Amino acid sequence: MSGDEMIFDPNMTKKKKKKKKPFMLDEEGGDGVPGEEAKEVEAKEVEPEGGDDKEVDFDEDEGRKKEPSDDLDDLNFLNQKKKKKKPKKVFDNEVEEGIKELKIESEEPEPIEEDDLDLMLPVKKKKSKKVDFEEGLETLEKDDVLDDDEGKNNDGISFSSSTGPAWAGTERDYSYDELLNRVFNIMREKNPDMVAGEKRKFVMKPPQVVRVGTKKTSFVNFTDICKLLHRQPKHLLAFLLAELGTSGSIDGNNQLVIKGRFQQKQIENVLRRYIKEYVTCHTCRSPDTILQKDTRLYFLQCETCHSRCSVASIKTGFQAVTGKRAQLRAKAN
Amino acid sequence: MSDIQNLQTFDPFADATKGDDRLPAGTEEYIHIRVQQRNGRKTLTTVQGISANYDKKKLVKAFKKKFACNGTVVEHSEHGEVIQLQGDQRKNIRQFLIDVELAKEEQLKVHGF
Repeated sequence: MSGDEMIFDPNMTKKKKKKKKPFMLDEEGGDGVPGEEAKEVEAKEVEPEGGDDKEVDFDEDEGRKKEPSDDLDDLNFLNQKKKKKKPKKVFDNEVEEGIKELKIESEEPEPIEEDDLDLMLPVKKKKSKKVDFEEGLETLEKDDVLDDDEGKNNDGISFSSSTGPAWAGTERDYSYDELLNRVFNIMREKNPDMVAGEKRKFVMKPPQVVRVGTKKTSFVNFTDICKLLHRQPKHLLAFLLAELGTSGSIDGNNQLVIKGRFQQKQIENVLRRYIKEYVTCHTCRSPDTILQKDTRLYFLQCETCHSRCSVASIKTGFQAVTGKRAQLRAKAN
Repeated sequence: MSDIQNLQTFDPFADATKGDDRLPAGTEEYIHIRVQQRNGRKTLTTVQGISANYDKKKLVKAFKKKFACNGTVVEHSEHGEVIQLQGDQRKNIRQFLIDVELAKEEQLKVHGF
């Protein structure tokens, strides 16, 4: 996560602003500047990347909110209702957060924004502080003009910024932030998918789990899922049984029958853990990997970034006696 | 002049030793918290891998009191002393172990569904 944040950092504040803006418009009943909005929409249409990026940002926010909850959340099971709801919820939260932030951060800009000056002011304020250090008060006015330009650029995040850097044509020095922005824009422009442009979503079929009788559970599409993950059924079986602490086997119809009562959600959880450990690459998180056995150890070889790392072996660990002890004794004799 | 970076003393091993003091003494391995199903809706939680420095009996006593469940210590030839508790106490145990700083969060492995 920290790596991601590093990558997203440069545009962070500006993005937030962008997100806030539509909300503002909604609330004030289109009180804001319609021209600005139109510009934004245009920009989005021209560059689909802009939209993508917003989504990413969004994802990241989600991650930050419930941080330690593993990165497993990007493993989407298709018809999981919870998942479907989640984005909406998060968005609501975000909007709410947006309100809070608006209130906390920019209490002054809010009233000003209504009279046509919107968005530029906060930027100006931040910038001016930095500028004070570097250049003193005289260049401030010049900077303001420049910032206006910048603001417009950032609205639609024009990755293919053909207009050139903001400092071009002026004798002003470029600031570190601007340079950073520039380099990231170039990187994204050159290879949109490589530079952490998007968080890869790993979409999975949901496991079909059916109760067999009262004490057994059947995992119907077990082999399908194995094929989908490109893993040996044996391996996944070992993992599932070790994690669930039960016994089970594959029956004639290629279903997995597990002893004990399990719900789809529970199996999903375990699958998620399996995917995290044994399917997605630990370095680049791409699911395009191969699991090899080498000198008793399993290694995960990534086909995308060609990294290779060992993965934990499957251990059952301690198993408590849950059955009837009398039966055990009878077996032993 | 104090900004000259070359003159600052830099300890290259500062990072290396940082990880060490995070773990409490004696626990170099993971602590596994597992859950097993019994008959009906009943479950059993096992805690494996708590270092020998800690008195399991006293731990069990604390668990029992805190989580209002029964529990025992089981001796196992391979896995050492294992704590067994009635019911699904995974979350409770995890929180407890973190709170009393017996284990760090990274050290705990919660298994099961």
